[in-house]
Parts: sequence; structure tokens; C-alpha cells
Amino acid sequence: MTNIGKEIRLSRIIDPEDGKAVVVAADHGFMLGPIKGVVNLEETLIKVVEGKPDAVLLSPGQARRLNHLFRGKKAPALLVRADWTNAFRDKTYTLPARSIKRVAVANAKGALSLGASGIVTYYFIGHSEDETEAYNFQLTSIFSRECEKLGLPFIVEALPFGERVTGANYAQLISVAMRIAVEAGADAIKTAYTGDVDSFRRAVRSAGVPVLVLGGAKARTLRDALEVVEEALTAGGSGVVFGRQVVQADDPKTFVSSVRMVVHEGKSVRDVISPYRGPIRLLVRAKNCVGCRECQLACSFFHEGEISLKKSRIRVDVELPEKFMPFPCTLCGKCVEACPTQALTFNPELKYVEFTAERCIGPKGCRKCVDACPFKVVGWNDDVKNPFICDMCKGNPKCVEYCPTDALLTAPLKGV
Amino acid sequence: MNRILTVDLTQEKFNTQSLDERVVYRLLGGKGLATWILYQMVKPDVNPLDPENVLALATGPLNGTIAPCQKLCIASKSPATGTINDSYMGGWIGGELKFSGYDAVVITGRAEHPSMLVVDDGNVSVKRCERLWGMNTSAAERKVIEELGEGFKVAVIGPAGERMSPIAPVFSNLRSAGRGGLGAVMGSKNLKAIAVRGFRGVKVHDESMFERMVWIALRTLRMNEVTVRSLPIYGTDNILLTINETGALPTRNFQTGRFEGAEMISGESYRSELWLKDFSCCLGCNIRCSKIMKAKRGGGEVYVDGPDYETIFSLGSNCGVSDKEAIAYANYLCDEYGIDTISVGVIIAFYMELYEKGYLKGEDLPVKPIFGDGEAMVKLAELIGKGEGVGKTLQMGVKRLAEKYPGSEKFAMHVKGLEMPGYEPRAAQGMGLCYAVSERGACHLRAYTAGVELCGYGGGADPLSHDRAKVQLAIDRQDEKAVVDSSVLCFFTLFGLKLKEVYQMVVSATGFEYKDPDELKKLGARIITLSRLFNVREGFSRKDDTLPYRCLEEPLPEGPARGQVVHLDEMLDEYYELRGWDHEGIPEKETVSKIGLKDII
Repeated sequence: MTNIGKEIRLSRIIDPEDGKAVVVAADHGFMLGPIKGVVNLEETLIKVVEGKPDAVLLSPGQARRLNHLFRGKKAPALLVRADWTNAFRDKTYTLPARSIKRVAVANAKGALSLGASGIVTYYFIGHSEDETEAYNFQLTSIFSRECEKLGLPFIVEALPFGERVTGANYAQLISVAMRIAVEAGADAIKTAYTGDVDSFRRAVRSAGVPVLVLGGAKARTLRDALEVVEEALTAGGSGVVFGRQVVQADDPKTFVSSVRMVVHEGKSVRDVISPYRGPIRLLVRAKNCVGCRECQLACSFFHEGEISLKKSRIRVDVELPEKFMPFPCTLCGKCVEACPTQALTFNPELKYVEFTAERCIGPKGCRKCVDACPFKVVGWNDDVKNPFICDMCKGNPKCVEYCPTDALLTAPLKGV
Repeated sequence: MNRILTVDLTQEKFNTQSLDERVVYRLLGGKGLATWILYQMVKPDVNPLDPENVLALATGPLNGTIAPCQKLCIASKSPATGTINDSYMGGWIGGELKFSGYDAVVITGRAEHPSMLVVDDGNVSVKRCERLWGMNTSAAERKVIEELGEGFKVAVIGPAGERMSPIAPVFSNLRSAGRGGLGAVMGSKNLKAIAVRGFRGVKVHDESMFERMVWIALRTLRMNEVTVRSLPIYGTDNILLTINETGALPTRNFQTGRFEGAEMISGESYRSELWLKDFSCCLGCNIRCSKIMKAKRGGGEVYVDGPDYETIFSLGSNCGVSDKEAIAYANYLCDEYGIDTISVGVIIAFYMELYEKGYLKGEDLPVKPIFGDGEAMVKLAELIGKGEGVGKTLQMGVKRLAEKYPGSEKFAMHVKGLEMPGYEPRAAQGMGLCYAVSERGACHLRAYTAGVELCGYGGGADPLSHDRAKVQLAIDRQDEKAVVDSSVLCFFTLFGLKLKEVYQMVVSATGFEYKDPDELKKLGARIITLSRLFNVREGFSRKDDTLPYRCLEEPLPEGPARGQVVHLDEMLDEYYELRGWDHEGIPEKETVSKIGLKDII
């Protein structure tokens, strides 16, 4: 029972070669007004299109206005948002919504005449009003029938939303919302990532149609956003519909290309974000430090298998109210020079300070390295009578990874 | 995960106990554990300021790990309310307690002289400290560290705690376990400070799984608008304008929910004019809601941690004050003398209304307490902090103050003796229910329905509805919060995390085989009923689960909730039923055994 029109049009969104899609949502103006990144939508979208997304989602008005972006064989497919909701209302110009309302703003035919390769509508589950819930379903099934008749792919954005959603039932509700949408006729699903691979895998399986994961609020780092993509794919997802992640990125083109690398080229997140594998050094941006000590906690956990501020290879000075200063290893080599037994050497390949326990003076240790460190970063492990020596986590420092404010960064080590 | 240090200050005896694993499994830690300890150890009708009262400091399975935003639970029977009272403190002392080898400290008795409790990597002692008595909080904290040496994390009380004012918190590192008079309990025990240092490592059950689950939690926080932008940039005050728009910003002692000076005291305004630095007040904090600024006053200037939303409402809009620096300076005074900013602001506002309504005629007034007068507000805060003049009466709280002026109880804004926080319940019915049923009186942090009702988080809910769905919303939030409070993480993590992410961290840290997040939510419900049982034993029931007359009888005059009162009775019926408590709010026997409490209490 194939619908040829749907299949052909869906193949413009989801690449038949690998069954994956990178879709950029830019319909925010519709629900939120001119938020950052979509103030000049055309300018942003030109950059987005350069990154070669498979499709772009727009409101009917913008689809008409910016139709020129979708002409030509290499242009992305167009998706049209066919309903409006008050659910995401921006608190800066009005009160939060008292109850979730939805209104149809385009029909399938209208979308088709705009050149759309598909339409997208919401399906919410988790609010307590019976009428809203019934209307929710009614609207979905009307769109479904229209799309079926016209051979237009019908993508449903199925989301837990409303006061009955709890932290305990959230993942389950994602699965339920997706399944109901599929029962109502959705050809593909856009939904939120459940947060972990296992529960998302279960949800994708029970949906039985391609599932694209959405991005939500702009992540602090590219890595976070890409990790979600990677995990969603591992769980059987078919790609992404990213909105704010892309349009609010400093460089939307590179962002889309990065997502493509993960989705279509199967690259790992690490390879996409930091392909550099050579020697590194640690940089400090003291003004960014907020004194959380997550770097110290992470350092001890990953090196010692236990968490302790006193067993960390990085030191943080916090003196309220204004002094916040991390002191990582600077690779100055004073400890290496001071070591009488060559227990400390520079790693020939990655240039970090390497500690060889067998060469260290036992059983009490001479502690010359501890005394030599100009920044008191080298500590003493009294349990095993060894120094705590920073090894730059052999190229991927945990202190940097766990720093929430970029007070610690890495840079390639040059001139060694 | 169950090493408890018991300290008897009267006899200077210390004891280390291990808890039954079954109890820990059922109650997790933090709030759950502290509630259980108090239920076991505090005899009914004990005066909260008697040596027999128990002060418990309890960590949870996520303290001292790499999990985000760690706090410490401090609990006792409250001198403000006579109920159980658990409060949560940022700073670094929670993690340090774990590093010193203890999961909880239980303090009873009364030291003969002003003393401090020192826990130094497993060595416990009580040291006399007369020289610290009378010192302000920050000076006392510095002095203790100076005397004991580097690496100590210290919790102290200010002069108000020494005077056993029921609005005195415990302070550490500019943060406080703010509500319900825990500082007074310390004061009653002659305990000025608790100093902790530890050199031990904290281990988790499954390292690689824990690493993964913490990373997912951190990532989730970094991908949520509230936790990655609103709170980091504008602090907790990011919501003030929204709360004002919804007509829920308590103004002039809750006379209305709209404040004409809201723009002036918004997070946006503080950010652009005064805040200097974002600050992670808690170990592992990835949110940094805390802000540091300088406040100028009388030729000098002082550093203030804050002000946060609750302080800005209480000392600001609630007193009609829109002077940012006056609010910040009063905040500073509160922190230094060791009094709770929420209670102080609500007390001052009450005093201002007493004046407005003519109750204070013929009294000798230190200042004219007029709404909107920032100087008067600062002066009164100072008097309360010092316990001087009229401050001597005011420091006892709104409830006791109202007893002096018959008729004024109608606008005495407290529940069970705890002053009301910054969400007008007539404009958010769910908050009304939360204040009424919270185990420690008017608290916004037990079931924060305001996020959904007023800020529209997660799709929102009609703030004016008071049906079964609203009651269920409150119950869901209350249960989830009890889990976070037992973990012990900061409440704000829940703006980004779902309970699922907390569950994943808890299970990998403990190895406890909770089936799913819902089982953890049920654990939260268990703790809520246990704290209820404590209060029932003290004589509390439906009659006490109420709100001030103003909320129940006087319609809100303006805003979207104009004309509303709180429909409390209907919500209480539903609430008790859904909780498995009887019509009077007493947990049914059947419930107690069904939810897994019977065999551990």
C-alpha cells in the first residue's frame, strides 16, 4: 500500500542512500517572534543552506517569502509548519499560556502549492484538558487524511507537554506520543531525545517510522548537540531537526556541516570537534572561573577512581568574594629538573610530564618535585607515597571537559 | 553510605554508627535520612530550643562526587514552627563531610560553654570558642579557618542565632540553610560553628556508568534554556518580571501582586548595573545562579552575595522598595547578623502595614515604617539583626508579632509560623496548596508549582485552576523535590534535569536497584509521609494546613488573578486523598505500610 507521491517526496527529506536526514527548523518566528538568529531570517538561511541540510522547516509565510532558497537541484527540500501553538509563548511580551491551544494555519494543499516536500504539525500529550486533547487528535487525523490524498509526507512533532508530565514519566510519554502520532498517520516523527540510548531505542522501535530528534534550547557547546545526534542515531533514529542549535550558532554553515558529518558520514563527535591529536597545553581564563571545583573533582575521579579535592592534579584558589583562579600544570618542567631519579620525564610523543613509579625514590619519597612546582600544582599522595603529576589526561583533559565556563581550555603545544 | 557521627554536646561524647542498609535504601540520604533520624530521636513535645532537640546534618549519595550542584541537608525541629524543618545549604561543607568519612552528623545536648564542633578527617572534638561568640558570620568563619588551619569548611551562626531568634539560619561560605531557625537550634546548643575537613576519597558503585550518567546530566543542564542562560545570567531574579506580569509578585505585605517598581529590581537591571561576578556557591555547581556585587552605603561599600529573587521580593517589592542597593545592603546585614532574608522582609512588611493601619499608635518608633522607604527597611533589618530596640520583638517572627496586635493576624503572612515566600498564592493556586501542606510551613521549595503555573515551564498550567490535576501537579513536584533533597542536589537542577537523570546518577552511585525513576518518585512520597508523621505526632493536622486570612478571604485586587482567593479546602480534600491520608490529614495506617514505612519506623 505504497503512496508513490509520499515516497518520492520523503526521499528528498530523508536520503534514501543512508536513510538519514539533517533538517533545519527555522519556524521560530512563528511561535516566539524574532529571537536571536532569526531576526534576519534570510541572511541566516543563506548560511544554513551553504551547510547543505536535507530540508528546511518554515512557516507558510516565510516559505512564500523565501521561496528562492528552495529552487534548483542542489537546494534543500522545503517543509512547511502547518499549525500554530501558544505553548512556547515568549514571556517577554505576554503571559505564559494558561492552557495549550493549537490552530491549523495551512492545509496540505496549500503547502504543496508552496513547493513543500512535507508538512510538520505538533502532537502534545500530557495536559489535563479533555477538549484540548481531543482537538489535538482531530487536527492530526485531518492533516493525515489530506496528506494521504495528495501524496505529501506528514511529519508529526510528538512531545510530552503539560502539567501531567513528570520527571518520572517523561521518557515513557515520548514513546506514547510518538506511537499515537503514528497511529494517526504520521510518516515520520520529530521528537525530543529521551536523554539516553536505551529508552530512545525502545521509543524508536515502537514508533516504526523514521524518527528525527529535535535540538531544543541552544546548547552551550557544539559537542553537546552532536552527542545527542550521535546517541539518537545509535538508538536507531534517522537524524535531526535542529532549530536554535543551528540558527543561533555563531557559524550556522559549519554547524550544519558538522551535523552532516555525524549523520551522513558516520564520523564520531570527537573527530568532528577536535581532530587534533598532538601535544597540548592548558590555558586559563581566570575571569571565567566561578569556583565550582568541578575540575578538581573530575581530575581525582578519573585518575584515582575516587573523588577528593585533595587528590587532584589541578589546584583552584577560591577566595571570596572575588578571587577565583585555577592553577593547572604549565609544563614548565621544574619538577622534571628537580627529580633526582628521572622518575619524571616528558612524554616523547605528547610532551606531558610522565611519572614512572618504579624510578621514584621510595618508600617516603624525596618530594623534590612537590617543592619545585612554582604553582603548588604537584601534590603528594600519602597513600602510595607518589606525587600527583598532571598527565594532561594524555591529550583529552578532564578538567577542561568538565569546566562549565571555559575557564580552562586546551591549545596545541607549539615549539617543543 | 551509612556512617553516622553522633555527638552529645552535654557529655562531649562521640559515637559512630552504621545504619541499617534497608533504611538507606528506602530513604536514600539527605532529607530522607534526616527525617528518619528526627522521627526516631526527637521525642514528642520537646521544646526545639531544649538540649533534647536534635540537629542533623545529612549528605546524600551524590555529595562529594562529580555530580552537579551539591548541597547539604540540615534538619531539626523548628523553633519557628514546631514542625520538622529541613533546610539546604550550598557552599562546600556537604562534600567535605563526605571527604572526612561521614555521611551524617547528629548533634544533641548543649555544650557548657560557647563551642565549636571540629570534624578533622575522622577525628572529632569539641573546642571552646568564647572569643567567637558575638561575631558576625563572615568574621567567625574566617576566624575558625585561621585557627584550625587550611582546608576546613565551616558552618556558623551569627549573633541572631546565639540569641536563639527563630529566624536565624546556619551560614557557610556566603550561603545559608535559611529557613525555620536552624541557627537558633545551634545557638541553643551553645554551638557557634561546625568545622569539617577531610582527606579521604569518595567512591561510587559503578565508576564508568556513573561517569556516563553524570555527563548526561551535565549535558542536559547545558541544553536547557533555564539552566544554561536564564539562571547563569540573571540569577534566580530572572523570573521577577514574569512573576510581576502574572500578578504574583507579593507587594506591600501581599496587599497586591503587582509592583510598580518591578523593572528597577529585575534580574536584568541588577545584571546591567550592579552584579560583578557569577559565582558557583555549591560544590560542582554548573549553573552559577549566585551573583556577587558591591553595595555602597554610608560612605563605604560591602560585598554581597546576591540578592536573589526571594530576597528581592521580601526586602524589595514586599516592602514597596525599588532601591537595588538598599535591598542588597539589607541582604548583607541579614547575612552578617545571621538572619533569614525572606522572614526579615516579610516581618518588616508586616510592621509597615501595622503602621499603615494604625496599630502602632503611641509606640516609640525608631523610624517611620512606611512602605517604599528603603532607608527605613534597612534600619529595621539592622535592628532585627542586632536584636535591639524594636528588633527584639520583630526578630521573633510575624506570627508572634501578630499576637501582640489583635486583629492583625488577618494580614500576618505566615503558615505555621514560617513567613511566606515570594509567590502570591491567590495568583497561583498550586503554590497556595504547597504553602499549606509543606512540612515546615510556608515554603516555596517543597513543591514548586510556580514554575509551571507562572513561568510556563514544560507547557504550563492554568495558575487559577484548583482541580485534581493541579493537586496532582503539586504532589508530583513535591515527590520529585524530596528525591533531589535526599540526593542531595540543588533544586535548580530540576529546571534542566528530569527525575530520570537524577535516577541514573543515584543508581550508578549507590548500586541500589531501583527499578525505574518512578520507584524513586515513590521514595519521595514515602519521605513526605514520614515527615507528615513527625508533624502529626506533634499535634499538627488539617486545622494547621491553612493560609493567612488575606489569601483565603481577601480577593486579589489586580492583575490576571484579580478577584481570586485561594480555594484551599477543595485542594486539601484532593491532596489528602491522593496521598492516602485521612480527611484530617493524618496518614492512614494502610498507607504507612503500603508505601514501605511501617517496618522502618
